[in-house]
Amino acid sequence: MAEEVVFQPVRALAEGVRTRRLSPVRLAEIFLDRLERLGPRYNAVVTVTRDRAMEQARRAEAEIAAGRYRGPLHGIPYGAKDLLATSGGIPTTWGAAPFKDRVLDFDATVILKLEAAGAVLCAKLAMVELAGGMGYRQPNAAFTGPGVNPWNPDAWSGGSSSGSGSAVAAGLVPFAIGSETWGSILSPAGNCGVTGLRPTYGRVSRHGAMALCWTLDKLGPLALTADDSGLVLQAIAGRDPADPTTAERAYRYPGPAGHRFRFGVLRGITEGCEPEVRDNFARSLEVLKGLGTVDEVALPDLPYDDITRTIVFAEAASAFEDLIEGGGIAGLTAPEDRYTPYARDAILAKDYVKALRLRGVMAREADRVLASLDALVAPGRSTVAAMLGGEVRSAIRGTARDVMGAVGNGAGLPGVAVPNGFGARGLPTSLQLVGRAWEENRVLAAACAYQSVTDWHTRHPDAV
Amino acid sequence: MSETEAVAAEVETMLALVRERYGERLDAEQLAAVRTSIEAIVQASRALRAVRLTNADEPAQPFAAYRADP
Repeated sequence: MAEEVVFQPVRALAEGVRTRRLSPVRLAEIFLDRLERLGPRYNAVVTVTRDRAMEQARRAEAEIAAGRYRGPLHGIPYGAKDLLATSGGIPTTWGAAPFKDRVLDFDATVILKLEAAGAVLCAKLAMVELAGGMGYRQPNAAFTGPGVNPWNPDAWSGGSSSGSGSAVAAGLVPFAIGSETWGSILSPAGNCGVTGLRPTYGRVSRHGAMALCWTLDKLGPLALTADDSGLVLQAIAGRDPADPTTAERAYRYPGPAGHRFRFGVLRGITEGCEPEVRDNFARSLEVLKGLGTVDEVALPDLPYDDITRTIVFAEAASAFEDLIEGGGIAGLTAPEDRYTPYARDAILAKDYVKALRLRGVMAREADRVLASLDALVAPGRSTVAAMLGGEVRSAIRGTARDVMGAVGNGAGLPGVAVPNGFGARGLPTSLQLVGRAWEENRVLAAACAYQSVTDWHTRHPDAV
Repeated sequence: MSETEAVAAEVETMLALVRERYGERLDAEQLAAVRTSIEAIVQASRALRAVRLTNADEPAQPFAAYRADP
């Protein structure tokens, strides 16, 4: 049965569960077995939540047998990045050694919403320590070890939602929840050849999620397809009194919708990209031209990376003030994470406020450009995944430029990364589509259309 | 003072603050790395300050007045 279900999209699994051809209990057993057996190979898992999973799976099976089908996530296994609070004795470690034994007594809103949808929590997934906010420069920046890429065991799975990316890519779970402050969903999705969705800021409650940067943190799914990402978003979106930044806007995912799309490409967006990344993006543009129009567009000249970076640094320094000033960072895994945060004291309050003021300008300019488009498109990343022993180039640290990420995250815009080919060392490359605020369905529709005429998302690593 | 000298002076001022607060935890190599990080922060702050805004350009932030009951 494992061959029938591993690497099957959530939508296909859901149909099997709904029609009772697939047993939620059997599904949970298959994916729990893969998490326990293959998870260590990729340093993808912090905790396999077998007891909770089997309890949820048995409940799902009984409910469905009784005719109480909750929807497309009912009985579907998933994994959650280990920065989401979980009760029941399951540790919540934030990927950081100082918290590796910490147990919380409540569930994050996203965990509760997925439980309400009938999904089955099978694992807490590995991540870069403190979601990468301390300035790490190498893949080995988690107490669980460096995330290993299922496509190449010498390469990194990405960050900071490393386990969420590799677990989906290796068929350890049908979908996972990740978080993105700047790149932490789209990057591991791109590195691992899966689909990642960064929702609009305020679409998904952050309650119970580790705070790295209050005004930039977002939670979203990583899955095999854009369609699956929409199904998951529908389950986790919505207003939450426990997170005052969540919006009253209702969200419903309508499924793939075909129409002609209007795509924009920022002038010079492939500068600095690896040749294979540039070539694959050029091929993607040809595909997109078959789905609609592609026009070059421009944003005004503003220090986008500096705006978003200043906000991340200032808020992260405050969010982890106790850990930094108390010296707790000395217990982190990556040596540079033990001292780099001290530099953040050099950010003046006036400069942080200036960044927030410029953020307003950035958001308005991005909206002006996006108002006439369905999506801005660009390479998901300028390079393929770093090697395990190599240096991680990062826009957050300023060692790489990332206008799309700076604007997309700084302005809180939805974005999707989909696989679009392979580059150096057999590693995946990706295409990102970024839309207007609250327009997840437009970028998902475009991503679904792209995946309907390409097959990159149907390819899986040989070794698994 | 040239641009380069101005940046260097700012970096040294900020580094002195970090050294005052955390110097006993940092060896020479780590302090050099912190200096590099501060240089990036100073460059970013100068880029932000170079953009002119009007008095009406408010911070994009979500503060709202609070009271417990509606």
